[in-house]
Amino acid sequence: MKSALKHLARGAAALTAALFLSAQAQVSAHAAGVLREATIGEPPPLDVMVTTADVATAIGRHMFETLYAWDSTYKSQPMLADSERVEDGGKTIVIKLREGVQFHNGKEMTAKDVVASMERWGKFGARGKLLMASATSVEATGKYEVTLKLSSPNGAWKNLVSDVNGGLAIYPEEIAAKATGQPIEQKDYIGTGPYKFKEWRPNRYVELEKFAGYKPRKEKGDGFAGARVANFDTIRFIPVPDVGTRVSGVQAGDYDYAEMISGDLYDQLSKDKSVQVQRTNAPIFGLFFMNSKEGILKDNYKLRRAIQTALDKSQALRVSFGSKDLWKAEGSIVPKDTPWYSTAGIDGYSPHDAKKAKELAKESGYTGQPIRLLVSTNYQAHYDQAAVFTRQLADAGINVQMNVVDWATLIKMRGQSEQWDIFVTHHSFFPDPILFTFLNASYPGWWDTAKIKALRAELVNSSDQAARKATWDKIQALIYEQVPVMKVGDAYTYDIASPKLKGLNPNGPAFWNVSTK
Amino acid sequence: MWAFALKRAGAMLVTLWAASVIIFAFIHLIPGDPIYVLLGDTATPDQADRLRREMGLDDPIVVQYFRWAGHALTGDLGQSIFFQAPVASVIADGAETSILLATLTMIWVVLIGVPIGVIAAVRQGTWLDQTLSGGAMLMASVPTFWVGLYLILIFAATLGWLPSSGYPSIFEGGLGNLRYLILPSLTLAAPNAALILRLTRASMLDVAREDYVRTARAKGIRPWQVVTRHILRNALLTVVSAFGFTFAALLSEAVVTETVFALPGIGRLVVQSILRRDYPVIQGIILVIVVIYLVINLIVDLTYRYLDPRVELQ
Repeated sequence: MKSALKHLARGAAALTAALFLSAQAQVSAHAAGVLREATIGEPPPLDVMVTTADVATAIGRHMFETLYAWDSTYKSQPMLADSERVEDGGKTIVIKLREGVQFHNGKEMTAKDVVASMERWGKFGARGKLLMASATSVEATGKYEVTLKLSSPNGAWKNLVSDVNGGLAIYPEEIAAKATGQPIEQKDYIGTGPYKFKEWRPNRYVELEKFAGYKPRKEKGDGFAGARVANFDTIRFIPVPDVGTRVSGVQAGDYDYAEMISGDLYDQLSKDKSVQVQRTNAPIFGLFFMNSKEGILKDNYKLRRAIQTALDKSQALRVSFGSKDLWKAEGSIVPKDTPWYSTAGIDGYSPHDAKKAKELAKESGYTGQPIRLLVSTNYQAHYDQAAVFTRQLADAGINVQMNVVDWATLIKMRGQSEQWDIFVTHHSFFPDPILFTFLNASYPGWWDTAKIKALRAELVNSSDQAARKATWDKIQALIYEQVPVMKVGDAYTYDIASPKLKGLNPNGPAFWNVSTK
Repeated sequence: MWAFALKRAGAMLVTLWAASVIIFAFIHLIPGDPIYVLLGDTATPDQADRLRREMGLDDPIVVQYFRWAGHALTGDLGQSIFFQAPVASVIADGAETSILLATLTMIWVVLIGVPIGVIAAVRQGTWLDQTLSGGAMLMASVPTFWVGLYLILIFAATLGWLPSSGYPSIFEGGLGNLRYLILPSLTLAAPNAALILRLTRASMLDVAREDYVRTARAKGIRPWQVVTRHILRNALLTVVSAFGFTFAALLSEAVVTETVFALPGIGRLVVQSILRRDYPVIQGIILVIVVIYLVINLIVDLTYRYLDPRVELQ
C-alpha cells in the first residue's frame, strides 16, 4: 500500500511538472487566423429563419445573408439584392438580384433560390407571416429577378427582409423547398455568407471557416451592410456561461472577444488596458406585459395606469444595469435619433407618484387583490426590475406577488392566460415598429382592442413613411392609455474584445471586416 | 465471487428499468418545453404548437416513454433537440472531460487528503492537528466558484501560467491539453480533499482504539509500522467507499466548476439541457450516471473483499 502510494505520488508530481512546463510554452500561442469568441451559452440550431434566439443569430449572420442589410444607422441597404422597383401602389415589388453570388456548395444563387426561401419563410419563418401573410404570389420573373405581389402594400417590407433573425435568409432552393418548421440539419447549413459552417462540437464550440468563393459588395462596409471581407480563416464561437470567466479569458488572451458583460464591471473594464469595451449602438428594452385576455388587469386600464404611475423606472434601470452609460430612462418606445422617436403619451412613462397611483387604483375599484407577476431568474435584469417595481407598488398599496420560475417554464406559462397578470421579458431594437410583439395579437398579452386593431392595420398597410409615423404616434399614445405593456427603459449591452482587434462592428458581434492590428 | 457479481448485475437491470421510468416521468413533469427555447422569445403560440406536433412532443407521455425506451434498449439514446447530434456522441464527448477531471481531482484528493489525515490523527490534539483540521474546515467551506475565479485571476489572467478556461480534447491536442484541467481539478479537490482528510483522521482514530493495535504496540512493532500496517490499512475501508462515491459525484456534479472554467463536461451539459428541456440528452445522461453509480457501487463492494478478506460477498 505504502509503495503504491509512493508511486502514485511520484507519477503525479512528474505529470504536474510536465504540464506546467508545457503550459509555459503553449499558453499564449494559438493558431494564427483563428478568432475565438466567448458566447453566453450554446446556441439552438442555426436555422436562422425559424429561430429568433440572439446567440443563434450572431453565429448564423456569418453564414447566411439576406436580400438587404442594415447599415450602422439601421437603414436597409442592398445585400443579395441589387435594386428594386415598387409598382402598383406598393402592391408589387420587383427585386433584381446580384449576379455571380455563390452558395457554399459552389452553386450560383438565382431567383429560384430566393423564391423557395421566401415560400419556406412565409410558412415557417419566425417573422415570415408579417410580410408573406399578405402575399398573393412570389415568382421568379427572370434568372435574377423576383416579383412579390401583395394584396395590400406593406410599408415595412424592406426592413422585414434585412436581417437574419427569424428573417429571410437565402438558402439554396433544394434545401428551402424540402424544409419544414423543424430546424434544418447541420449538413444543410449552406448560405452565401463570407464564412461557411465547418463543425459543431457540442458544449465545445461552433466553428466557421472562411468561404473562398465569397465576392464582397463594392460599397464600403458599414454596420451589417456593404462589403464583407473575411480576414480570419476561422471563427470559433465558444460557450462560456460564466461572465467572470469570459472577462478573465479575454484578459488572459484565451478569447479575442466576449459578449454580454455585466453592467457592474463596466467602469472597471473601461479603464482596463488589457481589453477594449464595445457598447452596442442600439438598445434593448425591458417589457412588462399585462394580460389583456383574463384576470384582474384584463381591461382595467385605470388600474394599469395606476401601476405605471407608481413606478420609478430609473431606479430599476440603475439596479439592473449599473453604470449610467449603459441605460437611459426613455419613454419613447423607439429610441431617440431614429425616424420613429415619439413623445406621444410619455408623461405617463415613469411618474413615480405613489399618492396619485393610490387614487387611480381606488377609482379603478382595486381593493388590494394580489396581482401575479411572472418573472424568470435566467435574466438577472428581469428579476432585479421586478423586485424594484414590486417594492414601489407596495408603497402605493398595490399588492404584487412575484412568481419566480426558470425561463423555459415562463415561456410555457405565459401562453396560459389564467396563470399570470403581468410577465417580464425584453426585446431587441428593431428599426420598424411593425415587429414589436405587443402589436401581434396572438403574442401572450393578447392586446387586441378595437382601437389597436384599426391602428395596426393602418401601420401595416401604408407605405408612406410620414403617414406611418403619424400612426405610430397614435399607437404610442394608446400604449400609455391602455398600458398593454410597460417599457422599462433603454439598456445598452456591451461586449469586450482584445485590444488587438480593430474594425469591430457597431451593430453587434459580426467579424467580417475585423482584423488584428 | 462470480455468482455474487452476476446476482448484482441482475439487480442492476431492475434498478435501471425503475430509474428509466422515474427519470422520464420527472423530466416531463417539469413545466415548460424545448419549443420556445428553440424558436426564441418572439414565437407565437400557433408556431410553437405546429413545431411541437412535428417533433412528436404532443403525444401522450406513455407513448413518448415507450418510443424512447424501445430505442434505448437497442442502444440508441436518440437525437439531441438542440445539438442536432446523437445523444450518445454528445455524452461521450462530455464524458472525456468529466472522467479526466474527476481522475485528476481524485489524484489531488488522495495525495492531499490521506497523508494529511494520517498526520492529523497521529498528532491528535496537538497544534498541528488543530491547524490541519481547521484548514480542512476552511477548504470545505469556501465556495468552489470563488476559489475557481481566484485561481483563474491569479494563474491565468495575472501570471499567465495556465489557460483560463475551456478544454480541447487530448485526442486532438495531445496530453499537453491536460494543463487546462489543472486549475479546475485543484478547485474541485479543495472541498473533497478536506472531507477525505477528516474522514481518514476520524477513522484512523477509531481503529487506533482497537485491541489488535494495542497488541501490535505491545509486541514492540515500530510506531510508524503500526500506523501504516495496522491502523491505516483498516481505516482505509471506510475511506475507500468514500472514494467511490466522491468519484461518481465528481463525474456528474461538478457543475459549478465546469461552468466557471467553461469545461465541456457532463455536469454542465445536464444542467444546460434541463434549462432548455433537451429531453433526450437529460434522459440519456441520467441513465448513464445511474449505470456509473451502479458499477462503482459494485466495484467498491468487490474492493472491500480485497482490502479485508473477512468480508464475505453474498
